[in-house]
Amino acid sequence: MEMKAVVSSTGLMLLFAWLSPSQALYFHIGETEKKCFIEEIPDETMVIGRYRTQLWDKQAGSFLPSTPGLGMHVEIKDPDAKIILSRQYGSDGRFTFTSHTPGEHQICLHSNSTKMALFTGGKLRVHLDIQVGEHTNNYPEIAAKDKLSELQLRVRQLLDQVEQIQKEQNYQRYREERFRMTSESTNQRVLWWSIAQTFILIITGIWQMRHLKSFFEAKKLV
Amino acid sequence: MMRWSIEGLKVCVSCLSLCVCVISAFSQSLDGDFTFSLPAGRRECFFQTMKKDASLEIEYQVLDGASLDVDFYFQSPSGHVIANDYRKSDGVHAVETEEGDYMFCFDNTFSAVSEKVIFFELILDNVGDGEESEDWKAYVQGADLLDMKLEDIMDTINSVKSRLGKSLQIQALLRAFEARDRNLQESNYDRVNLWSCTNLMVMVIVSGVQVYLLRSLFDDKRKTRT
Repeated sequence: MEMKAVVSSTGLMLLFAWLSPSQALYFHIGETEKKCFIEEIPDETMVIGRYRTQLWDKQAGSFLPSTPGLGMHVEIKDPDAKIILSRQYGSDGRFTFTSHTPGEHQICLHSNSTKMALFTGGKLRVHLDIQVGEHTNNYPEIAAKDKLSELQLRVRQLLDQVEQIQKEQNYQRYREERFRMTSESTNQRVLWWSIAQTFILIITGIWQMRHLKSFFEAKKLV
Repeated sequence: MMRWSIEGLKVCVSCLSLCVCVISAFSQSLDGDFTFSLPAGRRECFFQTMKKDASLEIEYQVLDGASLDVDFYFQSPSGHVIANDYRKSDGVHAVETEEGDYMFCFDNTFSAVSEKVIFFELILDNVGDGEESEDWKAYVQGADLLDMKLEDIMDTINSVKSRLGKSLQIQALLRAFEARDRNLQESNYDRVNLWSCTNLMVMVIVSGVQVYLLRSLFDDKRKTRT
C-alpha cells in the first residue's frame, strides 16, 4: 500500500514536470512593441496563459535563460472592449481569466522595461502558451483532491473534453445565428435600397421636367 | 514474506506502468492555435522548437482584411525553405522534423492599408513517445486476467481521448472558417449601407445642380436681351 503511494506520487510528479511549457511557441518582441492575440471563446470558460522571457546577450551571443527585473505587462479585453485584466508580471509569468460573455477576447503583451540598456541589441524572446477550457484543468491536483485512481482520472478527463466540445458547439450555433441574421439583413437592404433609388430617380426626373416646363412657360419661351 | 514481496512488486510495477501510460498519453500531442492581428506592411515570425523524428503540421487561415490573403514562409532549422506561399488565403504544411527551431512567418508588406487577422494552428505529434509506452510492456509479465482487462480499458480510453482531441482541433478549424465568413458578410453589409446612401445623395444633388444651371443659363440671356 505504501509502495503504491510512493510510486504513484513519483509518477504524478513526472507528469507535472512534463506539463511545463518547454516546447511552447516563441517569438521576438521589440521594446515598445505590443503583441496581441485574439481568443474566441464561449462564456464561463477559463483561460490560462503562461510565458517565459529570454534576453539577447551580445557578449555571450545567445539568449540568457531568464532576466530578473524585466517584466511583461499583460492586458486582456473582453468582446465589448472593456479591460478585464491589466497587470504587470515578472520575467516568467502566469495569468488566468474566466470569460463572462462569449466572443473575441484580446490578450495583449508588451514589455515594461524602463532601462534602455537592457534592450540594446534589440530583441526579447517570449515563449508563450495559452490553454483554453478543459486544457486548463490541472489533473494531478484534481486527482489528489478527489482521491481518484488512474482509471477514474482518465474517465474524468474524457468527461471534461466532451463537455468542452458541447460548449463549443452551443457557441457555434449562436454565432451561426448572428451570421445568418447579418446575411439576411444585407440581402434585404440591397433590395430595398435599389427600389428606393429607382423610385427617387423617377420622382426627380418628373419634378425636373415639370419645374423646367413651368419655368420656360413663365419666361415665355414655349 | 516472499509472497508479500512478489505481490508488492506486481502492484508496484502495474502502478508504475499506469503512471508512465498516463504521462505518455498526456504528452502525446502538444498543439495550440493562435489568432493575431497583422498590421499593414508588417511581417511577423514565430518559432517552434522540435525534437528529431516528430511531425509538425501548421495550418493557417486569413480571417479578416481587405483581400483575405497573406504571404507565408516556412523554414527548417538548417535554413532549408519548406514552403513559400504568395498571397494565399489559407494553407496547410506538414513536415517530419529534425532537431532545432522551425520558423514560420506571415508577411503583409504587399498591403499598404489593410490589417489582416490571421489564425494558425500547430499540430505536433511526438512520435518518439511511442517507444516509451512499448518499454514498460516488457516489464509487465501480464499473465493475470485482471491486468489484461485493465490494459484493454486503458487502450480504449486512450483512443477515445485522442479522437476527442482531434474533434476539438476540427472544431477550432470550423470556428476559423465561420469567423472569416462572418467578417466578410459584415463588411458587405457596411459597404451596401455606405454606398447606397452615397448614391442617393449624389442623385439628389446632381438633379438640383442640373436645374439650377439650366435656370441660370436662361436668366443671363434675358438680361442681355433687355
